[in-house]
Amino acid sequence: MVDDPDAHDSADARHFESCPECQARYKAVAGDASHVATLLAAPELKVDLASAFDRVRSAPAAQPRFGLRLPVLQPGRRPMVLAFAATLAAVALLATALASGDNIFSPKTITPVPVTVADLQSISQLSAYGDLTWTTRPNLQIAANEAEAQSISGLKPPKVAKLPTGVSSTVTYAAMPKAVAVFTFSKAKAAAAAEQAGKPLPALPAGMDGAKLTVTIGPAVAEIYGNLSQPSSSSDLTQANLPQLIVATSSAPVATSTQVSVKQLEDYILTVPGISPQLAAAIKAIGDPSTTLPVPVPIEFGTATRVQVQGVDGVALGDNTGVGSGVIWIKNGLVYGVVGTIKQSDAIDIANHLT
Amino acid sequence: MATVRPDDEAFEALFTAEYARVAGIANRVLADPHEAEDVAQEVFIDFHRLHSASAQYARAWLHRAAAHAALNRLRGARRRQRREVAQAAEQSTQSVDPQKQVEVNEDRRRVRQALARMAPKPAAVLVLRASGLSYAEVAQALGVGTGQVGTLLRRAESALRKEVTRGTSF
Repeated sequence: MVDDPDAHDSADARHFESCPECQARYKAVAGDASHVATLLAAPELKVDLASAFDRVRSAPAAQPRFGLRLPVLQPGRRPMVLAFAATLAAVALLATALASGDNIFSPKTITPVPVTVADLQSISQLSAYGDLTWTTRPNLQIAANEAEAQSISGLKPPKVAKLPTGVSSTVTYAAMPKAVAVFTFSKAKAAAAAEQAGKPLPALPAGMDGAKLTVTIGPAVAEIYGNLSQPSSSSDLTQANLPQLIVATSSAPVATSTQVSVKQLEDYILTVPGISPQLAAAIKAIGDPSTTLPVPVPIEFGTATRVQVQGVDGVALGDNTGVGSGVIWIKNGLVYGVVGTIKQSDAIDIANHLT
Repeated sequence: MATVRPDDEAFEALFTAEYARVAGIANRVLADPHEAEDVAQEVFIDFHRLHSASAQYARAWLHRAAAHAALNRLRGARRRQRREVAQAAEQSTQSVDPQKQVEVNEDRRRVRQALARMAPKPAAVLVLRASGLSYAEVAQALGVGTGQVGTLLRRAESALRKEVTRGTSF
């Protein structure tokens, strides 16, 4: 308060006028501040605004127009992260595909389903069977602080009670308002996609042409621990850091569909060539697809176990080596996730003590 | 004909209003105007890719990013060496008293080394305040209450003095 007039009120000022002790402390603090200001002196900076603006404007466009730019990855970690990205894509596709005609897909619990890279490739072909339009585009943003993240998402960022040893306390907040996508199945597009693939895929079930799936994702908020700074020159990309821990919560995805039933969609997915027997069995084993969120687990890269988290069923991913693990659960309509380069036992401990 | 989107106009206005200050924050950390401008431009590029220029948090985001990006660059060993070489070259071309310039450069190097050893938050508080941001602006940039800034600053000043002393006692 001593060196910024806006930082103290009139009561402070009145007290200061009559308090020798505060005046003496002010003098000492002002002396310190002045000394530090001298220490931090810097050479004069003359900016050429016009040419600086030209350089910024001529920078290449962003790759992802929305969302977090993933930190640059160490080559050795790429397979795991690619698997993770593929997993996220598959979650969205499976959740969409399992949406039922009469019932709204509104998951209340979670189950792991084993997937292979071939499964993911096969499932991803479904996206060529229609048109995806966003009625509300995803707009994931980096927030300046917790309050801003809460204001963007409407969700309170979960608080980690105690960080595991070695995890940086530097935290970045990310938040996303609700996003809504509509996928319209198209017989013509499906035929074209099958022809292009050179390996005819099964024809769409009757009634599926023109069927619309409306999927709502988010809002969501995440705390990302670790130093996420990007390297400042492209020649030093390997110096970038991965997040050490991500704690996220999101409203559970909700999907509604027209014209087709959940059974039709389920049967259809299982006829797509390349789907592994394990995935087919896991999908068939889902008791109530309209209330269960399948979590695809890439079997080449991860393990999944069912665990109890905060009194509900959850899925723990990864192992106890500390290379990477996570836990996902749904409680009170919110999906929670704790993922990081930490031990599985630490992830579960963080999950159980989130407030 | 290219059309100018409202967000482009907002970004240009934001750039015009904040570029000098963002570069100034980076320069306060790096004590190197050329490198500071590199950092400032990267900060704006990153911002433009991910955020709307009309976002309420735009200025706070830029200030924080400038401080952290510059501090991270300061900590990069290889870059530090390059900077010192560049500063030495700059020093040799200046017409001021060479002995005095050597002392100034040595002081700057020592203080920057101390800054690089500090924890990110206190270092950022010092740099933002020394760059002329008000307490309210520092608070917004770092996501703390305005009332906390004074205390954070006092602690950070004390920490910097200790680090500088530590650096010279070896």
